[in-house]
Formats: sequence, C-alpha cells, structure tokens
Amino acid sequence: MIMNIQVSDSWLREFINTKATPKQIGEYLSLCSQSVERIIEDGKDYIYDIEITTNRPDCLSVYGIARELTAILPRFNIKAKLKEVPVVKIPKIHEGLPLEVKIAKSDLCPRFTALIYDNITIKSSPEFVRKRLNQSGIRALNNIIDISNYLMLELGQPMHTFDYDKILLHKMILRESKEGEEIITLDSQKRILKEGIMVIEDGEGRIIDLCGIMGAKNSETDENTKRVLLFVQTYNPMKIRRACQSLAFHTEAASRFEKGVDPEGVVPAMERATLLFKQWCGAKPAGKLFDIYPSPAEIKTVSVSGEKINQIMGIKIDLKEPQKILESLGFETKIKTGFIEAIVPHWRHNDINIPQDLIEEITRIYGYHNLPNVLPPLTSLNYQKDPTFEWEDKIKDCLKHWGFTETSSYSMVGKNLISSPQDHLKIINTLTDDLVYLRTSLVLSLLKVIAKNKTEGEIKIFEMANIYLPQKSQSLPDERMKLGIAVSGKKYYEIKGTIEALLKELGIDNYQFGPCNIYKYMMHNGEISVKGLPVGIIGEIDPGMLSEFQIKTPIIVCDIDLPDLLKFATKSKKYTPLSKYPPIIEDLSFTVPPQTYIGPIIEEIKKTDELIKSVELIDSYQNTRTLRITYQSERHNLTDDAIKIIREKIIEEMNSKHNLFLKKVKN
Amino acid sequence: MLKDQIRNLKNEAIGEILEAKSPQELERIRASFLGRTGKINQLTKEIPKLSGEEKKNLGQLINETKKNIEEALLQLQNKLSEKKPLENRFDITAPGIKPPEGHLHLVTEAIREITSIFTSLGFHRARYPEVEWDWYAFEGLNMAENHPARDEWETFFIEDFESEKYGKGVLTPHTSSGQLREMEKYSPPIRMINIAKCYRRQSDMSHAPMFYQFEGLVIDKNINISHLKGTIDYFTKQYFGSDRKSRIRPFHFQFTEPSFEVDVTCLICHGKGCRTCKQGWMELGGSGMVHPNVLQNGGIDPDKYTGFAFGWGVERVMMMKYGIPDIRLLFDGDLRFLKQFF
Repeated sequence: MIMNIQVSDSWLREFINTKATPKQIGEYLSLCSQSVERIIEDGKDYIYDIEITTNRPDCLSVYGIARELTAILPRFNIKAKLKEVPVVKIPKIHEGLPLEVKIAKSDLCPRFTALIYDNITIKSSPEFVRKRLNQSGIRALNNIIDISNYLMLELGQPMHTFDYDKILLHKMILRESKEGEEIITLDSQKRILKEGIMVIEDGEGRIIDLCGIMGAKNSETDENTKRVLLFVQTYNPMKIRRACQSLAFHTEAASRFEKGVDPEGVVPAMERATLLFKQWCGAKPAGKLFDIYPSPAEIKTVSVSGEKINQIMGIKIDLKEPQKILESLGFETKIKTGFIEAIVPHWRHNDINIPQDLIEEITRIYGYHNLPNVLPPLTSLNYQKDPTFEWEDKIKDCLKHWGFTETSSYSMVGKNLISSPQDHLKIINTLTDDLVYLRTSLVLSLLKVIAKNKTEGEIKIFEMANIYLPQKSQSLPDERMKLGIAVSGKKYYEIKGTIEALLKELGIDNYQFGPCNIYKYMMHNGEISVKGLPVGIIGEIDPGMLSEFQIKTPIIVCDIDLPDLLKFATKSKKYTPLSKYPPIIEDLSFTVPPQTYIGPIIEEIKKTDELIKSVELIDSYQNTRTLRITYQSERHNLTDDAIKIIREKIIEEMNSKHNLFLKKVKN
Repeated sequence: MLKDQIRNLKNEAIGEILEAKSPQELERIRASFLGRTGKINQLTKEIPKLSGEEKKNLGQLINETKKNIEEALLQLQNKLSEKKPLENRFDITAPGIKPPEGHLHLVTEAIREITSIFTSLGFHRARYPEVEWDWYAFEGLNMAENHPARDEWETFFIEDFESEKYGKGVLTPHTSSGQLREMEKYSPPIRMINIAKCYRRQSDMSHAPMFYQFEGLVIDKNINISHLKGTIDYFTKQYFGSDRKSRIRPFHFQFTEPSFEVDVTCLICHGKGCRTCKQGWMELGGSGMVHPNVLQNGGIDPDKYTGFAFGWGVERVMMMKYGIPDIRLLFDGDLRFLKQFF
C-alpha cells in the first residue's frame, strides 16, 4: 500500500544544506519525485506530509527525501548539498557478552545484524526527539524505544530492541513458525500463528519476536533494563507480506520490510544507533557485532541509448544531460557510443532494472513540466465503426424525450432478490449482503428503484446495463446488454406503443408481439420478436412479487435483449414514390368473439389485397373493434365498385376464418 | 323549382349570419328573411298554388328552413354576446404545455461528453468484459500473483471460477484490463477509449463498489511523453474549461514506465490552495508510458512501438465538475436526485 510520511523541515535540514523555502521544497519535490500533499505550519517549523509511491522505499525516510532534494533543487537553480549522517564506528570486541545466533534458512533474512549495549540508563529522550516523533505520528516512550523509532524515520531502517537479560540462554534462532505456535506481541495481543511465519526463538521454544512485524512482550525493554540487544535486519519481503496477510496484522515496520529495505544501509544504521545509544543513554557496545550477510548485492548495470531517451521524452537532448542527472541521483555512469551505462546505487537496487527505468529517472529530474504538450500525430486508423454505441445512445435519447428517467443500479444483487442462486456468479468477498450475486435480469433492479420511490406518483424509468449469464466452466460469463423499462399503472398499450416507436426509430418494421408465458414474475405477458426471433418480453409484474417489494400500484415492465435486437437495426431508408391518386378511407366495425387477438387479424386484412395500404385499430369497445382501412392505388383513381369487392372479401374472410361479424361501415 | 329557391334562400341567410359582426346586424338579417314581409314569407304565398302532395312537402321544407335559420341566428347571437376578445387572448405569461419530461443519468451524460472529446482526436470507443480473468486484470499488466502492488485494487473475487490458462475470475477493478484485450484485437496504430463499469471493495463518499472508468490507450511508432501530456491537456481544457491547467508528476504503476499522476488546477480555489485540494491541484488519476512487458503480453513488439495509457474515474471527473458530494447518490435510484438533471 502507498504510505505517507511526515517529515519536519528542521529534521530535513539536518541532512541538506539549502536556502530553498518550505514552499519551494514542497512544490519541486512534488513535480520531480514524491508528492507533498500538505505543508503544515508547526510553530517555527513546518511538517511535510509526503505520499511515497510503492517503488520508492528509499524515500521513506528523512535522509531519503534529503537525498532526492539534492538532485532536484539545483534543477530549479537552488543550491543543495547533502550532509553526512553522524555515526560512530563500531569497535571490534572479541570477548564480550555471549550471544548465539542461528538462521534456519538463508533466504529468510538477507542481512542480519545484532549488537549488545551495556550500561543503559532508561529515561526520557531529549525534547527535540520527542517532538519529532510526535510530528511524525509516533508516541515517544523511552530513550531505547525512541532510538529505534527515530532511526526508522530518519534512515528508513526499522529496528528492534530486546532486553538482553530476558533472553535467558542468550540464544536466538530465526526460523519459520509451526502451526499453532503462540506469541504475545508488544501490544499485549495473543496471536496464534499459522505455519511459515518468521519468528525468533530463544532456544527454549519461547518465541521472542515476530520478525519484521512486532516484538514479543516477554523480551521487551522496561524501566529496569540495563542491557539491550539491538536488532537490525532486512527480511524477505514476500515472507513478511504473507505473514501480515495470514495474521491480518500490519505495522509500519512490516510495511517497510514488505517494500524492501536496503541491506547496504544496515550497518550505517547500526553505527548511527551506536552514536545515539552513547548520546541519549550513556551506553556502549558490549559484545561483538553480528553481521550475517551471506550474499551481498551484486553490482547492477543498466544501459539506455540516447535514441531511446529521445524517443520516449519526445525531445532531443545531448547525452551529457542525462548523464549529469543520473550522477546527481547517485548512479555511476559511463558514456559509450550512443548510450549510457549506469551502475545502480544500492538504495535503488530493486527498482531500476530496464532502460525505461533510467528514462523515468532522467525525465522526472529533467522535469515533466519542461516537456511540450503535443497531440499524437494521426498516422492511420484501422477501426471499423461499431454502431452499437450509437444505437444505445439513440434508444436512451428517445426514452428520455418520451418522458422516461434513466436509472443506474449495482450489477450485484442480494440473495433475497433472486430465486435460483446456483444460476448466478457469486462474489466470495462481498462488501454487503445486498451485493452478492451478479444479476441475470434488470427487472428486479427496476422494481427496487420503484419501491424506493413510493412517494413519486407516476413512475416511468429505464435502465440499460449488462447482465451476466454463467457459461460452461473456464469461460467468462455472457455479458449481455439489456434494456429494462418499467412504468407504474396499467399502461400496457402505452408501453407497447413506446416499444413500437422505438423499433421504428431503429429502422425495424418486421416485428410481432405475441402472447407467451416464459417469465415467472409476470402475468399477461407477451413476447416481442423480429422476423420470428425473440428479442424481449413485456408484461405486468405478478402481484405476489409486487407485495414482496411492498409496491401497491400495478407495474408494467419490458425487458429487451439489445444484442438480439440491434442485429436488425438499420439506418437504410427506402424511397417510395408518392401516389398521384387520393386514398379512400373507411372504418369497418366488427363484433369479435371473446379472446380474439386483433394483431394477427390486422396483419391478415393487410394481405387481402395490394390496394390496402394500411389497417389501424382506431377503437376497441367491449366486443367491438373498429379498423380503419386505407385503400390507394399508384396507378389510377379508385372507384366505389373496386373498393366494394375488396371490402366484401375482407368481411367474408373474417367471418369464415375468425367468426367476425360486420357491424357497421363508415366512410 | 321552388325547392331550389328555398335552399338558395337558406344558404344565403346562413352565409349572411356567419358574416354578421353585431347583434344589430343579426336583427336586420332576421327581419329580411323571417319577418312578416321577409323573403321566406314571400315564398309561403306560393304554396296554395300547389297540389296536395307538393304542398305538404314544401310546407315541411319551409318549416325546416325557418328552424335552421333560427338556430344559426341563436348560435351567432350567443357567440357575439360572449366576451370574445378575452377568450382568444394568448397569455404569454401563462405556463406552456410541455412535452413529456425525461432524464438521462448523469453518468450517461458524462460518458457522452468524454467520448466526444476523445473521438474528436480519432479515438474509438471500446467496452471490454466486466467479469475478467486475473491475467487481463493483473498478471498480464506486470503484476504477478502476490505482488504487493495488487493491494491498491480492492478486488472482488468470484466463487469457484478459475481458468487454467488465465487464472482466477474477478470483477475487473479497472479499465486497464481492456489494454491487453484491445492489443489482442487490433494491431497498431491503436487509439482506444475504453469506458466500462469497474468494481472495488470500497464504499464511502468518493468510492462506490461499482463505478465507471475511462481508459485511453495510444500505441504507435514514436509515441512519447509529450503526446501523453498533449492529450491530457486537451481533455482537461475541453472538459473542465480552457482556463484549467494540467500537469503530470511522478507516480508508480506496475503496467506503465514511466508512470504519472495527473493533476488539474483546483476548480474551487483556481490553484491557490484550499481545503479540498492538494496545494492548488486536484488529482485526476493515473497514466504512463505502456510498460514494455505489457506491450509484449499484448503481442506488440516493444522495440518497434511505444504507447501511453491513462485510466480515470468517470464519476470522479464528473463530481469534480458538478460538485456532487457523494458518489453513492448516483447508484442509489432516488428519482428525486435523478430528476434534477436534464
């Protein structure tokens, strides 16, 4: 995870000599390295709140920030010089206090150091130390514990102190935990360990440290501590990460180890600690320095060509410029014909690997703000136009203009909203109970919206979104874009009319609405099909379902599958010559038997004769249906006699096939 | 013959009545047609000259005609006595009769606006799976299993759903999963704007478990950082206004190298620095030059081609623009909220 650190201006200036103002430091550091999110005034001091990206653990310290600034500030014409870290050399002691160290597997701990200090006087740390810890959000405790926290902030090296006399056999075995082992950590929590977590055992089976995460209560320093064992290590980051995950426990030290701590920084940190032990506790080393470092980091060289640098930066610069920049960041460089060879400084060992990494270093210090803004040239494009998005937009626009409100709801639904969980994809690590299954229909989401808006009066809503239909194993679900429409009130014909108008807008005319019975939450439902292929359903929500949502008005819904529908959408237009001869229009009223579907009848009448241009249902009252017939010819004026023949044919066919009786003719 | 005369009289009378402008005029018309010496009575005098059957028919016709004229007179009398000028007045201040009022979702509007800005630069709109394999969402983007960088994406996993080839099934936490999909589908030059739903295990004022991202991807020969800057600057000026400035600064993503964070000058304080922004800048989102490993995973030769990519939250840019305080309002289905916008 990204970490923020708080660094005070006064502490920073212990390591950098510059006249840059806090504002300049904040601005230029953000532009070229790590983002200064806030600068907080604190008396005469300032605190920088800095977000450190995960690839830059070397910046997780006061010293690391000072080091960055020495490369950055001169680019803004501000002098800056890095100061040395005050240390003492650790004396070589051969006959000191005893300690035996064993590391079970060398890959657990790339570098292990330990040193015993004697003559400790436990007291409060100096005031400035307490203040700085406090400014960085850490509580000052006593001079020993404060040293380890102070140096973690100053140098980025976490460390741990044990009370030497509490490690009875003076033995330390670094190994992996066995299932079920226990430790009470410094925060007084009892933790039961799974297998494979790095711990230190004291030789008697007692665990005295949860490596890299937190020490154990049984070996902590207290007001009576006289001798301290200081522990400075680097750990296998992946092991720390897994341990934290398995324990669901994170500490600042662990976050740092997880990102990688520089093994070359371990001994300087030990030397710095030795100075502080002397200055703040009056203590001195009392044993030999353990330094187990089986495979020191090898020298790493990365090269990049001038051509590549120019290609990525988009400008031409002389190779000497990138060379200067890399040197300022601690790289050792050589210019060879056309490229730079750079030895990576040890504190950047893990994150500089490929030419692009060097280009990033060069360009950020050169200044992204110094590069021009240029639109990418359009060389050629091979894309075929995908009309799907246009059709979707058109549908949404139509519905909006016809008075519908678009809603958008979560793709996941709760168990209470579905009847067959086994047919849905299920989220393992859900956030809340109402976001568990990936929906396979929009209808219930629409009902949820209606239920939420009971005071709204008339409701006309739609949603266009994917549903997720599970496929055979090893395949992604079928994500299908659906259009769901819902209205309150028994407005069957308005909804049907809306769909018909929509189909017209999409250039689809060969459609049918037919009765069907496939959707279980609906009654009076019907299927919409185009050229005989189903594209959606329309119907009224079953009262049982409505009562589950506590909805009191009838709800008509329509559920359309867009991929199926849009196959038929077309923008092509056809010109029909305008007739020079006037149409003749007449209305025929029929009595129909109960349960007659008028749709097929209209279609049939249309086919009676080619002079019939349209048949419309203009009135429906009890068992009477009035149809308006329009006759027209492109070639001549129609006579009453010609119409009469067609009319009689219609009446005769309707009567014999469907038992319709003519009631009235009006023209 | 007489019948025709009567019909003509009737038409003449009704014609005059309809033309009449005042009650006085109507009175005059009544006298000239229905008065004792009026035109109808003149004709009545002809009746005794006719035979029995004709007498009866004509009598009836005359009576009907009188009745018709009376009715027409009465109708117009009523009309003239009404307050005519007021009734036909167009009161410009009265409420109009509006067509039905509907509303598009704010996210739809934002997606359209974003799409049109990028299509004007030759980008094509894409939409890739929301339920995605680990390979496309993480591993192929240079984030191997257990890589700490994955922690930045609070990912939803799907139960019993794994591919031997592509790993676990997830709800994609970012539109960057569309990068590899696009590279598999098309060869360079690529100019994609992928807009799709994404999911993360987060819920607070600025995070919803479902949200939209838009992902730009440009791959061609010699694509460089200045092209990324130019594209970003064009977008921010088009979307937020021509007085906005944008900048890129160093950041880190596994799938881009170098990586950047994109900032826009704060819309509230205009870059001076205020409580809602960071030193005058607001973060828009991440971007970078496509990592060579990612190009390779997408089947594109990184020695021949370079590219840039960015992926930002649709709701985030929209909320910045309109000042909507809580992202969850968008997916909550409260019609009082949805109907605020046109």
